[in-house]
Amino acid sequence: MFEFNQYNIAPWGYEIVIYFFLIGMAAMTFIYAAAPAVFGGIFGGVAGKAMQPFQKTGMIAALILLLISGPLLIADLGQPSRFLFPIIYFHWTSPLSWGSLFLPLFGLSIVGYLFALINGKTDWLKPLGIIGSLLAVSMPLYTGLDLMVHQGRELWSNPTIPVLFVILSISSGTALVAVLHLATGKLNDQALEVLYWFLYVALAATLVLFLAELVVLNYGSAEKRQAWQVINTEFGFEYWVLTFLIGIIAPLLLIVKPKLGRNPKVLVLAAVLSAVGAYSFRAVLIYAGQLGQLYY
Amino acid sequence: MSLGLQAPPSLGVPGKKRWAMVIDLRRCIGCMACVCADKAEYDVPLGVWRTIVKVKNTGSYPNTKRHFMPRLCNHCDNPPCVRNCPTEATYKHEEGFVLQRYERCITCRTCIAACPYNARHVLPNNRDRVKIGGVVDKCTFCDHRVEKGLVPACVQTCLGRSRIFGDINDPNSEVARLVARNSTVVLKPGKGTQPQVYYIKPERSLTEQAYSAPVSYAAREDARAFYEHNRSSKFFSGVL
Repeated sequence: MFEFNQYNIAPWGYEIVIYFFLIGMAAMTFIYAAAPAVFGGIFGGVAGKAMQPFQKTGMIAALILLLISGPLLIADLGQPSRFLFPIIYFHWTSPLSWGSLFLPLFGLSIVGYLFALINGKTDWLKPLGIIGSLLAVSMPLYTGLDLMVHQGRELWSNPTIPVLFVILSISSGTALVAVLHLATGKLNDQALEVLYWFLYVALAATLVLFLAELVVLNYGSAEKRQAWQVINTEFGFEYWVLTFLIGIIAPLLLIVKPKLGRNPKVLVLAAVLSAVGAYSFRAVLIYAGQLGQLYY
Repeated sequence: MSLGLQAPPSLGVPGKKRWAMVIDLRRCIGCMACVCADKAEYDVPLGVWRTIVKVKNTGSYPNTKRHFMPRLCNHCDNPPCVRNCPTEATYKHEEGFVLQRYERCITCRTCIAACPYNARHVLPNNRDRVKIGGVVDKCTFCDHRVEKGLVPACVQTCLGRSRIFGDINDPNSEVARLVARNSTVVLKPGKGTQPQVYYIKPERSLTEQAYSAPVSYAAREDARAFYEHNRSSKFFSGVL
C-alpha cells in the first residue's frame, strides 16, 4: 500500500524537560529559603522559624539551579546568540516572552536576596523575598502556559497544565530542600513538619490532577483519545510506572501514616520519589503532545 | 479578534484584500509539480518542505481509491503561530499573508508547536546557495510574486488547475466564486484559526488528525524513524 506523508516536529526534547524541571525546583527552593522574610509570623511563624537556618543554603541552591537551567534554555535555541530578542522585541501574547523577562528578574531577586542576607541589610529581605517569590511562582506557571496556549495540541491545551506544573515544582523543590536539610543536618522537627505538609498537599494535588488528566483524555475529543493512545503505547512505562506508581502512589503511601511520614529518612525518600514523578510527568506530557501532530 | 496579531482578520472586511487558496481535489492528480515548483522557487533543502502532497489509499481491493491532499500553510486569519511567537519574528500582513522575519527568529520552535497544520519547519544551516539557515521557515503564499501581480509558484505550475489563488474578499475572483458555488472544507475548523486554504471534496482520512495517522506498515515505520531520529537534541545534530 502506497502512502506518503511529510513529517515536521517541534521537537521540544529533553533539554526543555530538564529546563522545566530545574526551573520549577529553583522556584520552590527560593520560596522555602525566603519564607522567614516573606511569611515571618504568618501561620504561627512555623514556616519562618523552620527555614531560618536554610536561607543562605537555599538561595545558593536556587542560584546554582538557575545558572544551569538558563544556559540550557539558551543552548536549546537554534539561534542562541539571539537569546535577548524575546525581551528586545517583546510580544505580550507570548508566554515565552514573559518567561524570558521574568527569568533574569528572578535571577536578580536571588542575587539581591543573597547580597542583603550577607551584608545584613534586613530591611531589603521582605520586599526582595515577596517580589522574588512572585517571580518564582511565575516560572513553573509560564512553562505550563507555554504549553497551554497551543490550541492545536489538545494534550497541552488544558487549563490544568500551568497549575499542574506549579504543583510539580512544589514536589521537586521540596525534594531538594529535604535532601539539603538532611545533608547539612538541619532537618529539625519544625523543618520536618513544614516539608511534610508541603509534600503531602503537593502529592495529593498531583494525584487529583493525574486523575483529572485521565478523565479528560478518555472522555475528550478524538484528538484527546489519540493522545491517550500515544501515551499508553509510546510512554506507558514513563506514565504508569515512573509517574503514577513511583512518583505519586509510592511517596503518598510512605507519608500517609503521619508517624512514618515524619521520619526524616522516609520523608526524604518520599520527596525524592515525588521529584522523579515530577520529571517524568512533564516529560510524558511534552513528548506525547508533539506526536499526534507528527502524523497529521 | 486580533489578540497579539499585527493585523486584524481581514476576511469579509470591505475594502481589504484577503488572499486565499482553493484546492480542488477533484482535479489533483498527485504529480507533485507544486512541490517541485516550491523547491525551485525557494531552494528548499532536502528533508524539509513548504508544501507537500499527502497521499493515502483507502478501501480494500477491488474497492480502492488513492487520495491526494496538497498541504501548505493555511495563512490563518487568526494564526496561533503569530500570537505565540516571542519576538514577533512571524507576523501577519494586513492582506492575510503569515510571514517570517528570519533576522528575528530565535528558533525556539514555539510556532512549530503552535501550528495545528504541521506547516512549519527549521531550515538547515548548511545550505549551498541561499545562506538563510538555522531559522524557522514556512510557505509565504509567494508574497513576492503576488505583490507583482503573479500567482504563487505552486499555483502557476499546477497542471490540473487544482490550486486556485486570489482575493476571497473580491466577489468576482475565481476563489470567491468557487467557495460560493461548491461545498468546501477547511482543515481543523474547530481550532478557531480561520484557515484560508479551502478544499473541495476532500477525504476524511486526510482532513481529521485522529484519522489521518499512517495506516501502512511502511508509513508507520517512517513516522517512528523520523520521531526517533529527531527527538531532543539529535534534531540539531541531524538537521541544523
